[in-house]
Amino acid sequence: MYQPTSLLEKWSQENNELVNKCKQQEAAGGAVSRDHSQSSLRWCSSEFHKLLRKIQGIPPHVDHSQLELAVVYNTCVCFTAQSQFSEAELLLKEATERVLQVTGNNADTSDPLVLWRAGLKSAGNTALHPHVLYLLCLQWALWLAKCQLENIWELQEQMSSLCELVCDGVGDGSPSEAKGRLSKSPLLVMELKRLTELLQICTSIAQGAEKLNEGRSSEALSDLQAASALSATRALVAYTHLLSGSCLAHMNRPQMALQCYKRALETDSRCVCALYRSMLIYRQLGNTQAEIQALRLLHSTLMLPPATEPVLGGIHPLSPSLLLSSHSLSRLLLVPSALSVLYSLALKCVLSGRVTEGVEHYLDLLAALHSEDQHAVRVKIITNKITIQFSLMGSVTCICLPQVDAEVSVLPRMPELYLEAGAALLFTRRPADCMALCNEVISTTLELVPEKVVLEEPDEGIGGDARGLSVEGEDKVAMLLWAAAAYLLQGHCHAHLKDWKQAVTHYTRCINLLVKVHLKNRDFQPQIPAADVNVKHGKDLCALQRMKGLSLAWRGISFTQMDQLREALRDLQLSLQAFPDYTGAGLWCGEVLWRLGRKHEAAACWEKTWSLTTQTSVEKLPLYLQDPQSGPLLDSVELRLRIQELGLT
Amino acid sequence: MEGRCAVETWAQFGFSGGSYKVKILCGFGTDVLICTGTEEIYVFSKRERKITTVLLLPAAVSDLVGNQDKHLIYVACRSGVYRVNLQFLLHRDQSSQADASSSPAELKISQECLVVGADEVSSLLLVGSVLLTLCQRDASWLLTLYKTPKQTASTSHEEFGSFHLPVVSAVDCGAAESNRRPRKGSVLICIHSGDVEASSPSNASAESTVAQDHFHLEPLLFKLLFGVEAALAKSPVILCGLPDGRLCFLPLRLPGSRLRVLHSLEQPVCFVGASVVTETGHAQCLVAAGEQGRVVLIKTDKAGSEGGSAVAAFTEGCVPGPVWCGCMDKSCFYYSTGADLLRLDLSEGSFVRESKERGEETSGTTAAALQSPSSLNVCRVIALAEPARSTAGDVQLLGVSARGQLQRICLPAGRVDEGSSKLPSTQVSRSVRDLLSAIGDVCERASVLKTVIKSKNQFLRLLNHAISISFLLMADTTTDLPIKEKPIRCHFETSWSRLLQKDSLSLVCFLHNSSPFVLERGWTLSITVSPLSYSSSPAGESSSTNFSFPFHDLCPGQTFEASLPIAAAGDASFPMTVSCSLIFSLSSLLGEEEVAASFAGLQSSCISLPLSTLTVDWLHALQLNSPTATHKMATVQPSSAAADSIRTFLSSRQLRCSGRTNRGGESAAKPEPEKYSASVWVSSEIVRDTLKPKKSSNLDTKESIRDPEDLCLSLLERLLSEDTEGVKMGCQGDKIALSTSVVHACGPNGAAMKLTVKEINVGEEESTDKEATIEVQIESSSLAAVCGLHHAVLRRIQTLLQSATEKAASTKNVQILGLRRALQRAEIQQSQISGAFGEVVSTVQRDRLLLTVYQELRQNPLLIV
Repeated sequence: MYQPTSLLEKWSQENNELVNKCKQQEAAGGAVSRDHSQSSLRWCSSEFHKLLRKIQGIPPHVDHSQLELAVVYNTCVCFTAQSQFSEAELLLKEATERVLQVTGNNADTSDPLVLWRAGLKSAGNTALHPHVLYLLCLQWALWLAKCQLENIWELQEQMSSLCELVCDGVGDGSPSEAKGRLSKSPLLVMELKRLTELLQICTSIAQGAEKLNEGRSSEALSDLQAASALSATRALVAYTHLLSGSCLAHMNRPQMALQCYKRALETDSRCVCALYRSMLIYRQLGNTQAEIQALRLLHSTLMLPPATEPVLGGIHPLSPSLLLSSHSLSRLLLVPSALSVLYSLALKCVLSGRVTEGVEHYLDLLAALHSEDQHAVRVKIITNKITIQFSLMGSVTCICLPQVDAEVSVLPRMPELYLEAGAALLFTRRPADCMALCNEVISTTLELVPEKVVLEEPDEGIGGDARGLSVEGEDKVAMLLWAAAAYLLQGHCHAHLKDWKQAVTHYTRCINLLVKVHLKNRDFQPQIPAADVNVKHGKDLCALQRMKGLSLAWRGISFTQMDQLREALRDLQLSLQAFPDYTGAGLWCGEVLWRLGRKHEAAACWEKTWSLTTQTSVEKLPLYLQDPQSGPLLDSVELRLRIQELGLT
Repeated sequence: MEGRCAVETWAQFGFSGGSYKVKILCGFGTDVLICTGTEEIYVFSKRERKITTVLLLPAAVSDLVGNQDKHLIYVACRSGVYRVNLQFLLHRDQSSQADASSSPAELKISQECLVVGADEVSSLLLVGSVLLTLCQRDASWLLTLYKTPKQTASTSHEEFGSFHLPVVSAVDCGAAESNRRPRKGSVLICIHSGDVEASSPSNASAESTVAQDHFHLEPLLFKLLFGVEAALAKSPVILCGLPDGRLCFLPLRLPGSRLRVLHSLEQPVCFVGASVVTETGHAQCLVAAGEQGRVVLIKTDKAGSEGGSAVAAFTEGCVPGPVWCGCMDKSCFYYSTGADLLRLDLSEGSFVRESKERGEETSGTTAAALQSPSSLNVCRVIALAEPARSTAGDVQLLGVSARGQLQRICLPAGRVDEGSSKLPSTQVSRSVRDLLSAIGDVCERASVLKTVIKSKNQFLRLLNHAISISFLLMADTTTDLPIKEKPIRCHFETSWSRLLQKDSLSLVCFLHNSSPFVLERGWTLSITVSPLSYSSSPAGESSSTNFSFPFHDLCPGQTFEASLPIAAAGDASFPMTVSCSLIFSLSSLLGEEEVAASFAGLQSSCISLPLSTLTVDWLHALQLNSPTATHKMATVQPSSAAADSIRTFLSSRQLRCSGRTNRGGESAAKPEPEKYSASVWVSSEIVRDTLKPKKSSNLDTKESIRDPEDLCLSLLERLLSEDTEGVKMGCQGDKIALSTSVVHACGPNGAAMKLTVKEINVGEEESTDKEATIEVQIESSSLAAVCGLHHAVLRRIQTLLQSATEKAASTKNVQILGLRRALQRAEIQQSQISGAFGEVVSTVQRDRLLLTVYQELRQNPLLIV
């Protein structure tokens, strides 16, 4: 008689000591690094597991099942906190089966749902009932962590009754009920009440995200709004607001969505996602000023040091991030890196006419890329967790880059960034800086440009997803296009400086590079309208044609300036062949014809050019392939006057 | 031809063995830091040539990196990464030197120095202000970036990035190694694009950390391997070699960059570096070596396959031996296999490149260069560092040996022809001495090898002979050649000799080798002498005696003679069987000590080839008492006159007593119980026939044989001297002239006996057709003598008759007569024997009865026709 009680006491004492130790470590854990707390957690879980092994060594019995279930709970919490879900689940299953054995029922099923129902029923109104509920709580957490929301829906009633019970203070060890009985009950690593609260809001968030993903926005909205009233950490409440906003945005109510995002930001100022989402809505609304403002804010928020992490983590072992790991939610919470935000900002500025500001941002971006300490990488850590998938041998083949929304601007590849910055610099009349950047691009790429390149049948992924390609397969075409674009920009620079001879040299270099590209499909006529080209053939072909047109046209213009009209005419006509859409070429072609005295032809050329009012998607072209707004310009009004004069005569 | 390496041991430190990563860290002025995988880090001062300080870390050290500018080292332990300020250390060191200059100062690194709390960090790297740690977490490799503070006082190291790479468990080739080595090391190095310094001199930190784990790669190769973006971003690239064989890279400063796999060696990577440095200071070749010797060289191949653009060429090859550690200098890769230190000259490939146009050939020669690393003859090196080339062209390496010695290894100049013209005379003489001693060593080894080969050849030849001889002898046994025609045969002669007044019989064995083979060392003649009847020995055990005579080259045609004592007079049991065999034993061939050492079970294994088995009987052992011999003895040896006279007396008495015939009546009339006799009857015709060919070959006249007296004499002569089965009675002094048909002799047991051969007529006395019969009668007072001699005579006659052609003489009558009489006798004897056994009589009586029956059997033989 004596021995079991003493054993029981010993075990529960051991359990309590472990729990206390755990709590101490957690309290201290805020200061120490993540690794350290992980290792202490590992230690705890192994100790708890050892203890559990000892307890489970004897057949299940009512007297000590209370303790046993408490230790199971503690062990499972530790396991779950380390993402060892399968181990925890196994323990829970074993524990339920033992409970069934104690109560004299037999479990002959492996289906966890049936098992739980049976367990809860058999525990019924016995003293064990609250302890079985603990375990149900953990099962809930596990299902949540493993995104098995359907199981949670299945046991919804049990869960809700559990919540009620807990709120009444049954399993809390609270003084309200039966203090005498529970005073001896073993300690728990994590209070039950807090766990259920956490689980409730996390479940709401996860379910909301799931529903939103499935398109049931209005349903999700009501749930989330209900959840936002729950007591939880600020971060989690902010999530509910954020998701509500997303629902509203999905339901095409941008202004209300903006309100929700605002509320989320008010709740948790660190909720960068809300900021990002607002920016997207502004972009959608076409409010460029607000968009730029939001981008700027977003960037500065992202650049802040990450001092806020512990707030989210809390001091209990089960962190919300562990429970909110569903894919749909993480997609909703995705935020681009600070660098890509900065890039978006720069590009937006340049495109919206705030070129000087844009150039500054571009230069900031380049500086950040060259700086020793890269804050940019930090944000990547968060996204890394979700987005990286590895093939077996470790070479990264498939990366789910943030493609959630088409609007998310991904950082372009380095040479393109250089070229864009160069173009922006040229826009702000800083040709020397532009030339320096281009020189850099040329020096890096030129060595790698092959003698001959075959541009294959369009492959949609060639330009866009090249980042994921392995290095060996780095696109030769891209390399060539970069070098050519750099020469083109340099030509523009010289043109800007009115150094026509140099300009011709650089345009010639560009053309020489471009003619190395051979189109594989011989039947294909490159002269077909550009819109079609855009659709049918990849970015590369489009860029190639555009670059050919630009370089030839501008060489022609340069020749014109040098009064070499024949060469100029030849180039301009070739340019029009290569890229009929380019109005500058058409106008200058007319001008040359005019100067050559072929005035009627010139007039026809002008008329034809003006009739091409397509003004194709300049926005979608890279910055460096846009028409330089410098150099000699032809005044359309003056040209029309000339035509009129011609018509008069 | 390579010169020899000079190895100078600088320091010895306690060191358990090469189970951990051993690393030498240089660059702190004259201090060298060595971590050996234990908790200790040794600080060795090159100036003082001793270990000045020992740093004691809380746990085993797995890696060590240093920042030379700030005099900081980072140490990766099991429990985390510690930072130690060496300046502080040095200061401390100097202050402590005053009081105790002999023993190294010991400095405990406390928990305060812990800067990163990550456990099980396997590798460290410092790139500028970024500290990288590589460790294995559950199922992935984790490369973590920490920002080191600008001020050395601050200890906060902020983590700002981490990269995962899943662990691949597919590579199992090093599973055995992994058991031996608990934690396989990983390699972390940093590659800078060559033009980084040139274009941005502000990037000072990159220059300051140019150490053993930082390399500047030729820009083109850099771009080819790591992409244009990394080059444009001026980003250093982290290369990490993992124990699963993967070589991964990470552009450090490129946004969105990830750990990607560059190559897989499929064996644990133990070294990564860059070499073949040009004048501009850029390495042209990236080298990675696996633990089992697989090496990959990565170079730019300018004559690429398509389009004429450059591509990166990966040349894989295998170098001999496991690679324990390695280091690089401007043109060579040095690595240690444990048994040797090897040098791989990587620049050869590039030399060839200039002369040849084709790229394939270049890669071929590079691969060929991989095949032939030159040995430097330094063994047991487990860590290498700091290759330095002196002005004379010597390369100096710093190494740690498996025994825990810090060594300075001086390699000689690469080419002899360069150095020889300028060398001072002292160096020349030294090198000549070195060369001479090297030649001496080589000669010695060569001669040893030669003798080994020679002895092996010899051995093989002997074995061949042995096998041939065995086949020869085996063929003999199957074909059953007559003894005379056997290629290796032996025959014996018995001879009495008198030594110290004791007569002894010795058997002389003659082995004649008429085979074409030499019986060499390893062959042994073994002769076993054993009594024919074992029961005669008192204890019942076989009293066989073994003699063995090893041969020393018995050439074809030679005869080997060995004499073996059979018995002294009186104590031998005749007849005895002599079996001789040739034994070939491997052990005697190999030499005792070798066999004992290597083949314990071989000692008993030898080939035994039986030659012949012979019987030495009483007739061979008879000592004839010729009158002249007795006379000689009497005159020459007067001291024994008395004994001789007694013996003469005795024998004369025996002679007198033996004067009886085999007639039953006579023997009954003179009953003498001590006198035993036995007789053998042979048809004289048969004797005549069988002796004829003998005589004819002896060129004797045939007339004498007609005479029955002659016949008796010749039979007697034949009996006494005939060479039966290769055993012959040796000549006893001069040839016995047999004058009478009665021979008195002395048996080997000393008993006197008489042998009489005479012609008698057998058959019914009244019958007319009497058969001429020769009777050989043996008489002696010793029963053993009679028995033995009788046996011997019977055997002789048996062999005589066997050799004789079968005569179909009609002797039926005689036979019938004999049979009848024999039958009668047999009946009587039968009744006597049954009476002897049936009645209850004493053993003495029974013996006597049996003896009587025996005697009768002997005395009334059947006539042999």
